[in-house]
Amino acid sequence: MARLKPLGRDDGGPNDAIVATDLGVQYNLRFNRKRSMRESIANVVTRKPPERFWALRHVNVHVPHGESLGVIGPNGAGKSTLLQVLAGIMRPSEGSVEVRGAVSGLLTLGAGFDQELSGRENILLGGAFLGLDDKVTRELMPGIVDFADLGAFIDAPIKTYSAGMRARLGFSIATSVDPDILLLDEVLATGDATFREKSKGRVIELVKSAKAVVLVTHDMIWVQEYCNRALLLEHGQVVVEGTPDDVVAAHLERTAAAKAERDAAALAAGLDPRAR
Amino acid sequence: MFAVRRRTVYRQTSGIPGPIELLREAIAEVGSRQRLIRYLVVAEMKRRGSDTIFGNLWWILDPILQMVVYVIFVSILLSTKQQPDYPLFIFAAILPFKWFSSVVTDGTVAVIKDTALIRQIAFPKIILPIASATGGVVGFAWGLIPLTVVTLLYGRLTPFILWVPVIALVQYVFSVAAAIFVSAANVFFRDLGNVAGHLLRLWWFLSPSLYSLQQFDGLGFVKAHPIIATLARLNPFAILFEAYRAVIYGSTTAPYAPPSGGPDVVGLVGLLLGSIVLVGLTTIFFKRLEPEFAKVL
Repeated sequence: MARLKPLGRDDGGPNDAIVATDLGVQYNLRFNRKRSMRESIANVVTRKPPERFWALRHVNVHVPHGESLGVIGPNGAGKSTLLQVLAGIMRPSEGSVEVRGAVSGLLTLGAGFDQELSGRENILLGGAFLGLDDKVTRELMPGIVDFADLGAFIDAPIKTYSAGMRARLGFSIATSVDPDILLLDEVLATGDATFREKSKGRVIELVKSAKAVVLVTHDMIWVQEYCNRALLLEHGQVVVEGTPDDVVAAHLERTAAAKAERDAAALAAGLDPRAR
Repeated sequence: MFAVRRRTVYRQTSGIPGPIELLREAIAEVGSRQRLIRYLVVAEMKRRGSDTIFGNLWWILDPILQMVVYVIFVSILLSTKQQPDYPLFIFAAILPFKWFSSVVTDGTVAVIKDTALIRQIAFPKIILPIASATGGVVGFAWGLIPLTVVTLLYGRLTPFILWVPVIALVQYVFSVAAAIFVSAANVFFRDLGNVAGHLLRLWWFLSPSLYSLQQFDGLGFVKAHPIIATLARLNPFAILFEAYRAVIYGSTTAPYAPPSGGPDVVGLVGLLLGSIVLVGLTTIFFKRLEPEFAKVL
């Protein structure tokens, strides 16, 4: 069983790249689904209380420079929300997050690309989205093109790319900007085997050069091999935090227990779990 | 895909900054992301050009076709005495309004069209409606070609036409405010696009587009209630249409004569100041909603 760390308030040390204190993110379900004005007005008129939902609550995370933190947990546990808050895409509803350093996030590959533009033009567009100076992007260009290894496709519109090629270009851009903090969301399983190896190498390089990495993944081997620390999120809360081996073990144990419980409940209801 | 903060330290808390702070933030964001706006505008142009057979030729064809439709419509249905050189008279309104309505329709989808972008990349979202409104300028600029041709055709081309960019600048500021507002509001109310279409049509017919403000003043119910005439003059598009018409068409009372005094400068300056205030207010509105975009989309 994993060592359970006390999850008290923590302002973090001067070495911390990321300090999140008592983080909470609340979704207002009234607006979460695509709503029309008719429904909204109806809700106001009938004084229906807004449905709210905490995607994250009372989460404390700190990541020192040079550490690679793996975040695991079942679907819907709030892993992606955590990354979105760390990336500055979402404002926390509660608590605070402090990020010291330039952040580059690889949350989903392919976002921000324009279908009509060529690979090269998309690198410039991507750089502009990242807030890089155009001159800097142009300097980084050869390295990005080289790492993505797309051959003549680099001058063709992105709409002609395969999903794997798009992912390679996205990964190449995000990791070439020399970030202090790298946020990765389940993106390492993209591309062919050769590129997977290459991207693994790049991430390890970043970790080694004293950069902080936060990695969200379902790949336990990745967490155990390349992360120095891990935390398990469940229902928006940190359940276990510790060494990757301990946390992975705890996760597997809890998943098995939850499954057994579900099966038992199903059995009690007269259903054969194997028949589902 | 990627998200970067170049600021070395940033801190986000649950509190919402005040309006002045939001405004200052927005100005800094737009100032530092001019390159991004340019790339987005170019990308939009490319997309337009590649999806259609005639490509950018549509910018020229569209207002001309619309003009023909209205000329036929008005000639057949309304027996009222028309303005001399009526096609040019309405063309001076069609072109600017086509620009404005395309800014509003593009603005409604400016934020929602790329969900992944909003959810995955940390960048100032206010760039999106501004880029979309700025992209509309290109269409308007193309439209100046048929405008000049039609003006030449009716022998009404005067140096006053050089006022057009000045009037267009006022309209640009006004339409940026509109784009910022609809782009943020549409995230929460997706049927805003439908509503906007009808409101735009109503606005077009209520503005002195197919008729002059003088003709409007002559209507029975306007004479009975002079307040309506005053209100009609506060309509931004009354100011804009009259200004465009003054420099393109000239005066209605003296056909073929050069316009007497140019556009109503006081009205334009008033509209410009009002539009700047509107841009400020809509920016605060946008910035207040911005943190929720990633959750809703």
